Amino acid sequence: MKLQSKILAFTIAILSLATLSPAAEIRIGIAAAVSGPIAKYGVPIKNGFTLAAEEINARGGIKGSKIELIVEDEQAKKEEAINVFKKFIFKDKVLAIFGPTLSNSAFASDPIANAQKTVVFGTSNTVEGITAIGPYVFRNSVAEADILPKVISVAKRKLGLKKVAVLYGNDDSFTKSGYDVFKRAIEAEALQVLTTETFAKGDIDFSAQLTKIKSLNPDVIICSAFVEEGANILLQGRKLGIPERIRFIGGNGFNSPKLMEIAGKAAEGSISGSPWFIDDPNARNQKFVRAYSSKFGQPPDQFSAQAYDALYIMAEGIKAAKLTGNLEKDRTAVRDALAMVKGFQGVGGKFSFNENRDAEQKGRVLVIKNGKFSLYSE
Amino acid sequence: MGEFLAATWYTYNTLLYTVLVNGLLALSIYLTLACGQLSLGNAAFMGMGAYTAAILTMKASAPFGLALAAGGALPALVALIIGIPTLRLSGVYLAMATLGFGEVVRVAFLNLSITGGSLGLNGVPAKTELWHLVLVLGVLIYSLVKLRGSRFGRAWEAINEDETAAAVMGIRTTFYKVWAFAAGAFIAGVAGGLNAHFTFFISPREYGFEFAVDILTFAILGGTQTFWGPLVGSTILTVLPELLRFMGPYRLAINGLILLLVVIYLPNGIVSRNTFKKKADRG
Amino acid sequence: MFLQQLANALALGSVYALFALGFTLIFGVLEIITLAHGTIFMVGAFAGLVAVTRLHLGIGAAIFMAMLAAGALGWLIDLVAVRPLRKRSFHHLAPMIATIGCAMVITSVFQGLFGAEAYRFPFDFFPTTAYVLGSIQLTLLQLIIIAVSFGFMMIIIFLLHKTKWGTAVRAVAENRRTAALLGIPVDRVYQITSFTASALGGAAGILTGLSFNTLHTFMGVPMLHRGVAIVILGGMGDIRGAVLGGLILGFSEIMSVAYLSSDFRDAISFGLLFLILLVRPAGIFGKTGERKV
Repeated sequence: MKLQSKILAFTIAILSLATLSPAAEIRIGIAAAVSGPIAKYGVPIKNGFTLAAEEINARGGIKGSKIELIVEDEQAKKEEAINVFKKFIFKDKVLAIFGPTLSNSAFASDPIANAQKTVVFGTSNTVEGITAIGPYVFRNSVAEADILPKVISVAKRKLGLKKVAVLYGNDDSFTKSGYDVFKRAIEAEALQVLTTETFAKGDIDFSAQLTKIKSLNPDVIICSAFVEEGANILLQGRKLGIPERIRFIGGNGFNSPKLMEIAGKAAEGSISGSPWFIDDPNARNQKFVRAYSSKFGQPPDQFSAQAYDALYIMAEGIKAAKLTGNLEKDRTAVRDALAMVKGFQGVGGKFSFNENRDAEQKGRVLVIKNGKFSLYSE
Repeated sequence: MGEFLAATWYTYNTLLYTVLVNGLLALSIYLTLACGQLSLGNAAFMGMGAYTAAILTMKASAPFGLALAAGGALPALVALIIGIPTLRLSGVYLAMATLGFGEVVRVAFLNLSITGGSLGLNGVPAKTELWHLVLVLGVLIYSLVKLRGSRFGRAWEAINEDETAAAVMGIRTTFYKVWAFAAGAFIAGVAGGLNAHFTFFISPREYGFEFAVDILTFAILGGTQTFWGPLVGSTILTVLPELLRFMGPYRLAINGLILLLVVIYLPNGIVSRNTFKKKADRG
Repeated sequence: MFLQQLANALALGSVYALFALGFTLIFGVLEIITLAHGTIFMVGAFAGLVAVTRLHLGIGAAIFMAMLAAGALGWLIDLVAVRPLRKRSFHHLAPMIATIGCAMVITSVFQGLFGAEAYRFPFDFFPTTAYVLGSIQLTLLQLIIIAVSFGFMMIIIFLLHKTKWGTAVRAVAENRRTAALLGIPVDRVYQITSFTASALGGAAGILTGLSFNTLHTFMGVPMLHRGVAIVILGGMGDIRGAVLGGLILGFSEIMSVAYLSSDFRDAISFGLLFLILLVRPAGIFGKTGERKV
């Protein structure tokens, strides 16, 4: 019983503290999964936001007002995402929300932000249907639907592809929706599918699938996976003797520097697509890569880059909006201004929102050569 | 003041709904524990209920009450069918069989197109209101109080105490065990349907091994000697992460530590048979 | 292709068997459903990683360190979480909850130390030579894992049945109170068994990490799920059962992917488990201890 009364005392203390929050500058809520297995995406996302906010504040903030980021852990659980969003909207009274990390959480929490007329801006939600939730839902995470078809057609042209094998994770919406896009692109390019194999998230052994694929001798192996599974697939595939001339084409999981970190030489020749890649020589990106690497001790990945760009995009929107101090009106003003952002120069290239508040950003087709990402085709 | 209350309600009402749903789930597993059965299938039954109810409201525009009833009925039916052969097992073996069953169900969710596969079901209409949850929980608690003194309650207690002796005394053990199993499945299914209709989205991963163990933890931590135990356990464990939010990165560790301390110092659960008795009555 | 798939099944099954060996000792012999064994597996892997990358030790020393670290952690868990419960009467599932609490704390600590991302052993640390025999190919590491699983199995069986310590362990498993009355130091037996079982888990961790190149804080979770299934399938506490169960699971997973449908892999594995339990309610080698009147 003593324990319970201690917990009760804590609760009262916290609740009363919360009502004493000081007057806001520009308060923005970040809902990210910074604990649990999804933290490997949530933490880079949080880092990207943190870096961008620091840079903007160092230059005087947005029209003189500093940005205050309120970061909450939504643990990649949908109920937590809902609770965090509600706290941001009703308690912290933020101007806008970024996140959550997973599309599945977004489906649960974004309707709440939308109903409360508060902008929710996803930087890592790639599944179809997110922005369809409502006019307050935005994202800059380029949907696989916009990049993968280009990757397939470029690869087909350059490598003369005819028959393919497909391997994808069927128990996660991220890898499954990537597969759906690949499937449509494969059909559009009239490629013959020799076999479609699946695996589950967290799997470490792909020998059965790869042995089967090897025996069918495809021209290329198309893979929709997270980077850990992708790297293992590459390593085990090569170890089983799949020759280098049979390349791997990957979705979003393959454009991470982590792929080379784990797979090493086995990653050579892999093809993927992304608007952003770490070795993009443009000045803004190189500055970002250096600043991120020195601040966080490891190189940025697509998640950090998209978060970084997202905060800058949001800053553009807030700059253009007329803020009156009335929270309700301001949230709507930010939404309207954000929707008009066009031609923003991000680390991933020129960015605009299309009429569905989805990302319009040129996807580049990348290939791994000598341990670095390089442009396979523009 | 009014604004503060309104803001507090809007901030925490989903948490409250989750507490009530978890209370239902904890009670659903209590039913099986009360007659000595360790079932880890209630997360899967919850999932069945959630998908059934959501599909009915989304695709067939069914009224909410009907969808919930169907969401309870389908898992109960499945429980009846698999219960009869499965409940011959006992202890950890039963737990494992139910866990295995849960995995099969999860894979079914992943591969059927009507459930949306790994993409889940998005856009479940928001129909659950506070009174739904309170009503269902209230009816359940009332039923449990009534059952305690009935032949069901006494049969379950006898089976829990010593199944072989109970059988020898003429109690139809299989009948009572399957009944508890199916009733638990019904409740879990209804809980799933209620949960789906305030979270907008459901997917297979939510109804797997991890959550099944969580439900069991609610009940054991709270204490399985009375039905108040699971309610207390589920409430504390649902609210705890929210309370610990301010601890940031240490949240998981503190949560684990609290779990550890509670179970060591209160190994029969927070609420035991003696908790409500006056000091003089305690044996 | 069939022979290669068979080889794949043997290799994967041995990985599972190695994990299940330690698990079944705790599970079956001490009758504790420990859900912390996945974190012990992970700790062994990371201990090995640190041994190699920071202390620049060789493979043998790294495995030793992994087993030592994991074993020490297992002993600590017994001391802190399970022993206090032995002193009181408790619900038979209370130790399980205690191990869940331990797992949460350990996971949190390691996530703080290593983050949630994936690590791998240095590229040239261990030779990746593959041995080819006809149409079958197995790497050196895979062969080592197969050998180690069977080796440990024999060693543990020998220890359990031919040594005084083993007899003590089996006595405690049979009936704790009687064993105490017979003068067997029950607490010591629990401690040593926890240490040994966890050391085995640690060995499984480092060998798996080395062979599959994915070390991360949550690497033990899928192993734990499978471990529970294997231990019960083979019969709790039965060492041969653990190895056989691991092989059966590996075989089922590989073959369902190769010849049925990879979509239904887990349904097939667990469906198989379900069916086997209906026929053999205490696992393949288990003793039901059923009371029939």
